Amino acid sequence: MTMATGRHAGASAQHTVEGTDPGLNVQTFEPDTAAALPPVLLIHGFASSVALNWEQSGWISALLAAGRRVIAVDLPGHGLSAAPEDVDSYSPSRIRADLLQIATDAGARPLAAGHPDSGLDLIGYSLGSRLAWEFGATQPALVRRLVLGGPSGRDPLAEFDLAAAQRFLADGTPIEDESTAALVTMALASPGSDMYALLSLVEAIKEEPFDAAEAVPRQPILIAAGEKDERAAGIEALQSLVPQAQVVLIPGRNHVNAVTARAFKQAAIDFLSQ
Amino acid sequence: MAEIPFPLPDLGEGLIEATVLEWLVAEGEQVERNQPLVEVETTKSALELPSPQSGKVLKVHGAPGDVIKVGEPLIVFEVPDDTAGIVGTVPSDEAPKRRRVRLNANLDED
Repeated sequence: MTMATGRHAGASAQHTVEGTDPGLNVQTFEPDTAAALPPVLLIHGFASSVALNWEQSGWISALLAAGRRVIAVDLPGHGLSAAPEDVDSYSPSRIRADLLQIATDAGARPLAAGHPDSGLDLIGYSLGSRLAWEFGATQPALVRRLVLGGPSGRDPLAEFDLAAAQRFLADGTPIEDESTAALVTMALASPGSDMYALLSLVEAIKEEPFDAAEAVPRQPILIAAGEKDERAAGIEALQSLVPQAQVVLIPGRNHVNAVTARAFKQAAIDFLSQ
Repeated sequence: MAEIPFPLPDLGEGLIEATVLEWLVAEGEQVERNQPLVEVETTKSALELPSPQSGKVLKVHGAPGDVIKVGEPLIVFEVPDDTAGIVGTVPSDEAPKRRRVRLNANLDED
């Protein structure tokens, strides 16, 4: 088989998508009164979970109140999902394939004229925004609108110093790289986090780093980030690729605490109700 | 009318305090049960606390940026006397599959 050339060509690997159960925790939520709009798929961030990123933060109740059906998935090694030992289970392309299968199983259907509840809306946060970007770009027949929370034009996980993190976990050697140290601190603080799984995810992401220009979503997009979000640097780079995107900056918020902001939720709900 | 104080609940994970990010209700406002009351941030995450009951907000404790310890006063409700007795009961239509953070009436400290 001839592989296409490109930045991923050097890291080509055989992935076994078919026939293996990724063991992902999927939760669907039905509103009391359903709006004539597509379901919303929620994709959480690194070292987070459905519970942290969407439930305790009030997103699910806000979306249900707006009449939205919600499909929420814990990423592999996160929340209540399985934490497989093979690195391939964590590759972004595998995760996107699983998300597509999950959304389809949950009833999402390709966009059809005259059917306002067809298609699928996506809300991602941080790593979830990267996955949503790629999912939207590669599934234009399914994905209607995208909300990208706390996205990064660069890829902080691809730049993660894996060796330094492993040394730190083995014997406490301090991590020099500031971003790596902050991500490890965040991962350790995350309730029930499986550090082995999180490092497998980092390893898989290093094989498939985010390249925003490689596939660009053409759907309407809302980009939202805390005004003080140190990880959302490079939003401008994303914006230049998607001139149709609206951008909302949340005053006073950073990467962690922008998640709960009412202004973010309201902007997303308004945007997705169009 | 009865005054019902609620302290910052035990947030689990060994957390002992939270920082107020933003109040979503104002003093004097009538709120419904499960209506979002306040956004707080811990060392682990940011979360929204839903109202444990309906009633009029008499007092909120802590401005944005203030740290509140678990068990310290967070909010005080005013409710009619005849409903004060059922405060803190969990509605039967709610059977959460997983643990959720909820406010509980501070009944021990009277």
